[in-house]
Amino acid sequence: MSATDGDRVIDAIEIEVFNNRVLAIIEEMGAKLVRSSFSPNIKERRDCSVALFDVKGRSIGQAAHIPIHLGSLKGGVDAILRDYPLNAIKPGDAFVCNDAYLAGGTHLPDISIITPIFHDGKIKFFAANLGHHSDVGGVVPGSISPSAASIFEEGIRIPPVKMVREGELDNGVMQLIIQNTREPEDRLLDLKVQIATNELGSEQVLALVERMGGDAIDRAVDDLLIYTARRLKSRIEELKDGSHSFTTWMDDDGFGGDKLPLAATVTVEGDHMHLDFTGSGPQSRGGYNIMPTGVMATVAYTIKALLDPELPANSGLFDAIDFTAPEGTIVNPRYPAAVGARTTTCQKLSGAIFGAFAGLLPPENAMASCHDVLGAMVFSGNSKKHDGTYVYLETLAGGNGAGDALDGMDGAHCHITNSLNMPAEAVEHEYPLMVEEYALVVDSGGAGRHRGGMGVARDVRILEDGTTFSGRADSYITAAEGYDGGKPGGNCRIVRNHGTNREEEMSPKQRLLILEAGETVRMETPGGGGLGDPGTRGIDELAGDLEDGRMLEETARRDYGNEMVDRALALSK
Amino acid sequence: MYRIGVDVGGTFTDFALLDEAKGELHYHKTPSTPSDPSEAVGNGLADLIAEHSIDPADVAYLGHGTTVALNMLLERRAPTIGLLTTKGFRDVLEIARQIRPHLYDYTVTRPEPLARRAHRFEIAERVAVDGRVLHPLDLDAVEKAARKLSDSGVSAVAICFLHSYRFPEHERQAGEIVRRILPDAFVSLSSDVLPEFREYERTSTTTVNAYVGPRMQTYIGQLRDRVTGYGIDREPYIIHSNGGLLSVDAAATFPVRTCLSGPAAGVVGAAAVAKAAGHPDILAFDVGGTSTDVSLVLDGRPLFTSERSVAGHPVKSPAVDVNAIGAGGGSIAWIDGGGALKVGPQSAGADPGPVAYGLGGEEVTLTDANITLGRLNPGALLAGRMTMDAAGARTAVEKKIAGPLGLSIEEAAIGIVRVAASGIARAIRSVASAKGYNPADFSLFAYGGAGPLLASDVNDEVGCRRILVPREPGTLCARGILLSDQTFDFVRTILGRATEKGWQQARDAFGELEKQAEEWLAKDKVPESARAYRRYVEARYEGQSFEVRVPFGQPIDNVSLEAFLSAFHVEHKTQYSYDIQERHVEIVNCRLEAVGETPKPPMESTGVGEDTSHFSDTRTVHFGAGGGWLDSAVHERARLGPGNQVEGPAVIEEMSSTTVVPPGYRANVDAIGNLVLEQNA
Repeated sequence: MSATDGDRVIDAIEIEVFNNRVLAIIEEMGAKLVRSSFSPNIKERRDCSVALFDVKGRSIGQAAHIPIHLGSLKGGVDAILRDYPLNAIKPGDAFVCNDAYLAGGTHLPDISIITPIFHDGKIKFFAANLGHHSDVGGVVPGSISPSAASIFEEGIRIPPVKMVREGELDNGVMQLIIQNTREPEDRLLDLKVQIATNELGSEQVLALVERMGGDAIDRAVDDLLIYTARRLKSRIEELKDGSHSFTTWMDDDGFGGDKLPLAATVTVEGDHMHLDFTGSGPQSRGGYNIMPTGVMATVAYTIKALLDPELPANSGLFDAIDFTAPEGTIVNPRYPAAVGARTTTCQKLSGAIFGAFAGLLPPENAMASCHDVLGAMVFSGNSKKHDGTYVYLETLAGGNGAGDALDGMDGAHCHITNSLNMPAEAVEHEYPLMVEEYALVVDSGGAGRHRGGMGVARDVRILEDGTTFSGRADSYITAAEGYDGGKPGGNCRIVRNHGTNREEEMSPKQRLLILEAGETVRMETPGGGGLGDPGTRGIDELAGDLEDGRMLEETARRDYGNEMVDRALALSK
Repeated sequence: MYRIGVDVGGTFTDFALLDEAKGELHYHKTPSTPSDPSEAVGNGLADLIAEHSIDPADVAYLGHGTTVALNMLLERRAPTIGLLTTKGFRDVLEIARQIRPHLYDYTVTRPEPLARRAHRFEIAERVAVDGRVLHPLDLDAVEKAARKLSDSGVSAVAICFLHSYRFPEHERQAGEIVRRILPDAFVSLSSDVLPEFREYERTSTTTVNAYVGPRMQTYIGQLRDRVTGYGIDREPYIIHSNGGLLSVDAAATFPVRTCLSGPAAGVVGAAAVAKAAGHPDILAFDVGGTSTDVSLVLDGRPLFTSERSVAGHPVKSPAVDVNAIGAGGGSIAWIDGGGALKVGPQSAGADPGPVAYGLGGEEVTLTDANITLGRLNPGALLAGRMTMDAAGARTAVEKKIAGPLGLSIEEAAIGIVRVAASGIARAIRSVASAKGYNPADFSLFAYGGAGPLLASDVNDEVGCRRILVPREPGTLCARGILLSDQTFDFVRTILGRATEKGWQQARDAFGELEKQAEEWLAKDKVPESARAYRRYVEARYEGQSFEVRVPFGQPIDNVSLEAFLSAFHVEHKTQYSYDIQERHVEIVNCRLEAVGETPKPPMESTGVGEDTSHFSDTRTVHFGAGGGWLDSAVHERARLGPGNQVEGPAVIEEMSSTTVVPPGYRANVDAIGNLVLEQNA
């Protein structure tokens, strides 16, 4: 049944009560996953997600952790339904998968566990969860390399496989997976928690089915999806019909070379919306490709962010919108292209969709470009605490785009990621490293009526010889565009030995630099774009920025003009 | 002698008075006075003194829950403050944990930092992770910064240097210089406020302390004057976020610890009442006008957390673990773009408030739905002091909700109650599940003005085995203040492997902490016989980034390393369902909670109940699918006593709240006056 069915009367009260029931179950699963997992990446940074699906593979709810994960979870359920006849799936089974080409994954570190839920002898739902495991083997520690030439360099590939058979854990499958990673003990602990998380979810879902009755719950699921589609359609209908395009650019595809476009054309027709990514660049020779499930998750994120932040996260959304991603491009690569570093591409794609929407939304909802990358610094060397090496991954936020009523957020993540930093005091305790600076980048916010957010600088001193550093980001050449006369934000860069006589500036894609004790590496992330003519910025606000040292006076004179700056400085006196 | 608990809320200031001679508890409410909250405290004291003919000299104790610090953060009406940081870390306060507050909504922004960038100064100094000084403190730089802050007119300065939990000397030296140049400023050192690792949370907590400091000192002065003005010569105590009492001096030095004062007192009260009632495991929910606070109590002890955020600012001082959601009596019902009925998070507040208040409110609220259904007294609330416009409420439900959705007025009103209840239920379930508990093993404890009204609807979704409603649920926070002990928390970061050497470090740390605690207890004049200590070692497996708290009642001098390790493994397994015996364990923090026990009121016995055939009234109340409009008994709570049983459908009214007993439920009054609602078998 299509959720677009227009005449059906849905129950205004039951929808809300049922959605709260579904969310309560998903939140319980999410709490269990976060509470019981071992690895800091899942436990502390909450790089994990939970969702429920019906037997048709429709998502009925997702916990709001990491938007991109919806793609892998949906892809995994679809792959099971494709590869296994329903009568080959038994109560007590649980599947594991991660592969981009065989199991709808978006990159290999995201391992999904998917568990069928039986009622009256038939599969009624699937409980699904996913954790980003900090290593799944492959060429580099952490399994993500911008210059991986194929998916075979990125770690173990897992098609949908039964890891639990009728309640019995298949230890052979478990060992096969964990022994192909660099931290088997962490993988084992986390995968067991993932399995238990779905068991908890299954119990709760069954209790709800018992309470409501099988037919009533089927109807409630349909109603919820119809409601979601209707709600989104009512938002789309408020937009003007028409087509708008926007292109963001990556510096290169991970292997150097030319700038590479991410193009989005958004078309509104009545209560329906189509997104077309034709015009996006050819597939990356490295790991920057996005699988279609990743594109789907990115689309779902942007639609919620732009049209209805509180819209329930379920498949109803895709009754109101669809998208095209041409094969052989960076948004739909051919097997066996590498996909590990897709996050930055998804950020750029989100930025392209946001840009295209600027032409559709009322002016008060417009927003200049965000930093649109995910800055990552990876250090590896001899561990301070145990035999072997450590791998320390840090992600860096940047500046967000200015809005019509607000300056862009300084030093905050954007789009499909939102993970915590590691405190400097914790870094220095864990690793032979010292954080010299963690600060906002002066002059990085794009000028405008509202200023773009400021990027972030992190400068790290190496305390032991032979430490390796890898950096992943983009926008060394390109920058976050301003909107409606606003100026672009600052660029991204890596600086080796900042402030010394051997200072060296480099692009933010660095693979396995070998550093000596005493050297420093600094990453500066891009700022956000400004919105509106800088000449219309409030003098108070300009004066505040100058007092706060968010820009140098000479930069302000360049962007805002002498007259405004003089008035602002006079005001401060 | 008399003991008095006072809780200052946004709308009302609540009082609980214990007459020790008669063993009686009395409750009182008076409108709050936001511009000087001590005024309402004084007004209420005057009322109580007059009403009960109290000789002020006979008041042995006055405890106080305050929202002064919280409101300053919520309303951002506070002084300009400065912050000194280690060179390179000026923006730590602003970058925070670098996340955006709402995943999808970019109009939701982080709160402005409490110290603006222009008033944050970097000082050259550096200490290594092991406490070695790598770069000495630049005294001139501190002096220059202090002079600039003086020119900017700051009234408080926070100082937070890296690794100061290990080496506080640089902060102390800087503090001396700042105090010399700004003798009137409130100075806060992170090594005093929160000597724990993780620089952002420490900086934020210290900055909040400085931010609320000057105003809190003023307020405490006003409060003292009021209290002595009424002839009460006892120093008042202030409830802090962990539900314990602080002397006013301690509260003036560490005001950050009072940010979550009121809700904490409520949970302490709920825990004590539930334990005395013989149901020590509860999920408690407090429904007020704009929000609902949810908490979990295990074996009569509230759960604690050291990570709370107050108006978006992390405050890492021990606090009762309370989760708030935006649903209360004043929450507004509306219809969204997809045609679903929503309740909240927008609230009509107290002014104009619900339509039924007749103060000009036009939006339908949860309270209006309850009036329309006859669940709340359609005539008047607050024991007759506040009249209700029931017809107005009904018309508004019809116009705003029932009409547009094509429902009857009753269906719409029931829908509003169910939607609100399902949201609250979801919050309660998530509090239980976040800690790994099953609601079916708990009793649901309903308080706040609107909690008992919704309790049975909420429990339909939560599935607790029974519902407990204390006497005067709307003033439980004030009553909780009479049930609190004096407490103060001390902490030291160890960050070392749990070897014999590391364990000795922990023992030494507790030695120091106990010395500090004894000084504090002596200063607060706690008699030796009333002193107690609770010790906690926070530890983790190496490679983890979160800690498990292992409690020790006894001094750890006599606890062997092996005994600690085995206690840690057990605690980890209890909380996370597994342990890893072969993995190294790391000791992170040693915490000491010093307790000065206060005399508690006996749990009142309200005598034997009267014959329930006395009930004052009946009215028709709507119970939705459970039977529609039903003639229901209306009981006065004051006349019910132990042994009484009320069969649903019924409502039980008292000054601060109304309890709904649906058909199929019965309410029994237990030995200490609580209502215990259970479904008929």
